[in-house]
Amino acid sequence: MGRVEVRALGGVSLEVAKGEFVGIMGASGSGKSTLLHILGLLDRPTTGAVTIDGTDVLSLSDHRRTLFRLNRLGYVFQDYALIGELTALENVYLTSLVRGDPKEEYLKKSTEILERVGLGDRIHHRQSELSGGEQQRVAIARALVNSPSILLADEPCANLDSQTSKSILDLFARLNEDLDQTIVMVSHEDWHKEYFCRVVTLRDGLIESVTECR
Amino acid sequence: MFEGLKVSAFLAWKAIQRGSKGTLILTIMIIALIFVNLVFLPSIISGVVKTFDTQSIEFDLGNLVIEPREGSQYINDATELQKKVERIPGVTGTSPRIAAGVTYFYRGRNAASTLYGITPEDERSVTRIAEYMIEGEFLSDGDTGAIVIGATLAGREGEEGGGLPTLEGVTVGDSVEVAYPNGETRIYRVKGIFETQSFGVDTAAFVTSQEMSDVLGLQDQASMILVKTEENGREDEYKTEILSYGIQENVWTFREKAGGFVDQAIQSFNIINTISTLVSLIIAIVVIFIVIFINTVNRRRQIGILKAIGIDQQIIINSYVLQVLFITGVGALVGIALNAGVTTYLTAYPLVFPGGPVYPDVEVSSILQSIASLFAVSIVAGYIPAWQIAREEILSAIRG
Repeated sequence: MGRVEVRALGGVSLEVAKGEFVGIMGASGSGKSTLLHILGLLDRPTTGAVTIDGTDVLSLSDHRRTLFRLNRLGYVFQDYALIGELTALENVYLTSLVRGDPKEEYLKKSTEILERVGLGDRIHHRQSELSGGEQQRVAIARALVNSPSILLADEPCANLDSQTSKSILDLFARLNEDLDQTIVMVSHEDWHKEYFCRVVTLRDGLIESVTECR
Repeated sequence: MFEGLKVSAFLAWKAIQRGSKGTLILTIMIIALIFVNLVFLPSIISGVVKTFDTQSIEFDLGNLVIEPREGSQYINDATELQKKVERIPGVTGTSPRIAAGVTYFYRGRNAASTLYGITPEDERSVTRIAEYMIEGEFLSDGDTGAIVIGATLAGREGEEGGGLPTLEGVTVGDSVEVAYPNGETRIYRVKGIFETQSFGVDTAAFVTSQEMSDVLGLQDQASMILVKTEENGREDEYKTEILSYGIQENVWTFREKAGGFVDQAIQSFNIINTISTLVSLIIAIVVIFIVIFINTVNRRRQIGILKAIGIDQQIIINSYVLQVLFITGVGALVGIALNAGVTTYLTAYPLVFPGGPVYPDVEVSSILQSIASLFAVSIVAGYIPAWQIAREEILSAIRG
């Protein structure tokens, strides 16, 4: 058997404004994760263009893409993706360390962000000592520490119970409002729609609908 | 660049500090044992060479040996030549010897070996045999009718020599009959027994030159003159110096007299050492490769995540290389400690070789070479698996 070409996305055109909280929804295989990966510079489309803050990100070299992800984007993954050997605080300030920020500054900023996400008293705990919701909050704090242009979240509540999911979505909504943080989040839960400014629904790699929610 | 290294060091240190202690200790111990293996064999080889040199100089030959010119059995006018050599700067002692292959008889037993005729005072200025008497005393200049014999030749009651000449139980005060090559026989009283642990010396015996000259009918003649020099290791220079004084006899360094025996032994040892070193380094490569490979494969997803959040691939690779450097560094230190223990033990209880007791001679260059080769193979063995996983596409790494 040879390789079968799968067209995950085709003819998608989407603009996200500064300070928007956009939800990308759709059935499995609709192309929502592929869209998020392209927006997050983790994947390259075969054709098309992606512009973030006026930068044509597809024309960047691999090294520049890495720097762009480091300085301008923040990620929250489905399964938290923390580094097990690091404490909550260390996980958060790791990217600041790569950027070469002064120690006092990144310690202060990371602590503040962990306090903002409600983990002020858990900053020295490691992944194995945190609950699923707490781990996801650490991941959110890590994504926010570099004040990213866009925070990209790939089904961040998929592994959490509904109560914890609600607290995480409340946190996203608060960050969106308080910090004017742009958020693009993939979800397949209908009740999440109430948190989004706009919902983009995909079907078979195409935008099926765009709905303003609040 | 520096920031990147700082992050690599941070990640590496946290992995060491909070990772599996069991795996870490086991890996360090393997590296330590490999280090011991790398250093131990060369130290024994070096010890064998040193023992051979020391034993040859101190008990058997001195630094240089002057032998009769071609076609002559003896050096004539030995005293005059001896005085001439003693005047050469750097020469601290000379000892003319007469050598003869004789047969010893004692209580119905016999043994064939070498008998030397010496001037005891001169012999003391070159060899240290007189200091190694285990029974009785060494010869004095006026002694006639007395013999000192080596511990192996003297032997022990009821013990066979295992191929070496032995009289099985001679003690001080006993009488030993000696049959000379010219058919003369003499009975000598055993004045002393020496033990140098050099089998060539301990199977020989000594009488005074005066005694032996009488038996063999020699007049101021010698089979050889042993020469002791101020410094060891400069025998070739002293040989040239002696020859420059117009001496017509053959002059040999103690190494030359060994007839390439040591060089051949060193060559054979070096082949064994090279094989052992290669095997050790291959084990080091395999162990480190497996440890880092398993580590990186298990963290494939984590590596993908690190790259996704903007951490450069080189920082990730370097963090694994730094872990390997730490393991190798600590392993080498533990290896040095273990080696010091083994060396101390073998210094107290040396290995016994035919040439004498062998003490491990650990050379700094051998330690440095072992450390350098261990680090070199470790870096390669750590870098390759880390690089293989870290260069993977982010999404395929994240998906595992």
